[in-house]
Amino acid sequence: MIMENIYKPELMEIIQIQQHTSDVKSMRVKFADPERAKNFSFKVGQFGIFSAFGHGESTFNICSSSDWKDFIEFCFRRTGRVTEAFWQLEEGDTIGFRGPYGNAYPMKEWEGKDLMFIGGGIAMPPIRCAIWYALEHREKYGDITIIYGARTVGDLVFRDELAEWAKRPKTRVIQTVDPGGETPDWKGEIGFVPTVVEKAGLTPKNAAALVIGPPIMIKFTLPILAKMGLTDKDIYTSLENRMKCGVGKCGRCNAGPVYICKEGPVFTLEQVKTLPNDY
Amino acid sequence: MSEIISKEDLLRLVDQWIGQGKRTAGPTRIKSDVVLYAPIRSSSDVQLDGFIRPRNSIKEFIFPRHEKLYGYKVEGRKIQLFDAEPAVGEQLIIAARPCDAAAFPILDHVFNWDYKDEFYNRRRQATTIVTLACKEYDRNCFCTSVGLGPAAESGSDAMLLDLGDGSYEVRCLTEKGKALFAGKTGTSDKTGTVPPGPKKIFTKESIDAFFAGGYDNPEWQQMTLRCLGCGACAYTCPTCHCFDIVDEGNAAGGARVKNWDACQFCMFTAHASGHNPRTNQGQRQRQRIYHKFEIYPTKFGEILCTGCGNCTRNCPVELGVRPVLETIETLSVAGGTKA
Repeated sequence: MIMENIYKPELMEIIQIQQHTSDVKSMRVKFADPERAKNFSFKVGQFGIFSAFGHGESTFNICSSSDWKDFIEFCFRRTGRVTEAFWQLEEGDTIGFRGPYGNAYPMKEWEGKDLMFIGGGIAMPPIRCAIWYALEHREKYGDITIIYGARTVGDLVFRDELAEWAKRPKTRVIQTVDPGGETPDWKGEIGFVPTVVEKAGLTPKNAAALVIGPPIMIKFTLPILAKMGLTDKDIYTSLENRMKCGVGKCGRCNAGPVYICKEGPVFTLEQVKTLPNDY
Repeated sequence: MSEIISKEDLLRLVDQWIGQGKRTAGPTRIKSDVVLYAPIRSSSDVQLDGFIRPRNSIKEFIFPRHEKLYGYKVEGRKIQLFDAEPAVGEQLIIAARPCDAAAFPILDHVFNWDYKDEFYNRRRQATTIVTLACKEYDRNCFCTSVGLGPAAESGSDAMLLDLGDGSYEVRCLTEKGKALFAGKTGTSDKTGTVPPGPKKIFTKESIDAFFAGGYDNPEWQQMTLRCLGCGACAYTCPTCHCFDIVDEGNAAGGARVKNWDACQFCMFTAHASGHNPRTNQGQRQRQRIYHKFEIYPTKFGEILCTGCGNCTRNCPVELGVRPVLETIETLSVAGGTKA
């Protein structure tokens, strides 16, 4: 009998590549094994460990909706050895996948609530999966506000989808770029994410917010959400510590006693506040 | 009545095991002042006394420092993966220290919670560990502080106790241990005695009190400023189990491998963005001590340390668990756990 091997990935074929910015791409991949493609399921918020053979593995959120069958998507910035290897791959090439790992966004718990999705830069992909899921179950959620900022117009990812989301009922999309990052034809906001959140004049009732982005963005956004009446239990984030195994063994991703790969990556602000500052 | 075996018979038995093709390892003298656990070719390689303990641990025989997880081959756009099963014939470790054997019941937890690491499990099942109770200890030994001792039986399949007359009492503790010594021992009314072991140098209560005093206690920096970040502590520790997963090979083919890693290395937690949750050595030392004495006990109910003292013995600047916890003990007792 073949030994069970938790480290061995499954093979997936790249069926579509989208380049978003000068250094960000997303890939749509499907399982090489048709049976596995049929049986595979995950929950939005979970992550996978993706392999570029000969180069290694990296951890990415599965940024497609869990309702989409036959394929999954992930998004990466060209920044190290593995992402450089992914950058060079083409449609039809094969990559490896392990997962899905970790916990998920509480989409069930969020039913009936107004939802705020606040993201900065490359943090849009892990929010995107939840946005699509919420939009595909539109009747279950209240008002949806999406606030997304990047350094420059050229750094915004999934721009075509931002326009698509804005057309949906009871859904507001606010895009912003840092001052100086705008282009002459830019119609969005200019300013940092926390400022834009404050200016948006939101009066959420019974709301939940998913906030993912650089620590500095999160830090200054939190007090504004508190002013709107959100408690630490209503604010969620996804922590992204460095991982290797993804299954609670390699000893790398912990923040205090919490292994982010197994007990996270999704935490409420209330939970984050109990963690030592190790993320 | 106890079971006994003479030293000559024990060494003859070791040669029999090797003759039967069993991979056998034990303490061997590598240099005049260095004893390491290593594979042995004959019983004459085995060192039974004349040193405190080997400079490494026996974990590498069950959790190797470099292990192939699977092979890959690239053919055009297609990838083929090849299973890599560890070559796990029966394996024996002779004259291990009790503080080495005690590591495995502790490590079983992390390698088996939820996801099971069969590379570890298969080697563990294929390995029989015969320990030799300690007669001596040095200033770096502190097994008694973590609930073990010179003849702690945890993790041993059989234990030998030196009777001081050229023979050993044999305590068979598991079925594997019984099978190994079946028919090989005589009986005697002599039983082995062991010294009480090193004096306790800290209590779990003191550590808990210090930890409760705050995560960002400035004492961490003070205590660990001299750490060089070399990782010798983790590599020679029986219980440190952090690892890396990397590819070895080229674009045509190769293998994915699991290598030992250490939380003392500056890149250990570095994010791709450049952000690093642990930017200085004080934070990395805090992680090592926290992991062993707080995180692991919270998660799995056991301290991730057997008190072997190797981390200090191998440390170029005399850090490691013993000096750090002695300082914590002093600070705790003095009420100096300021946050």
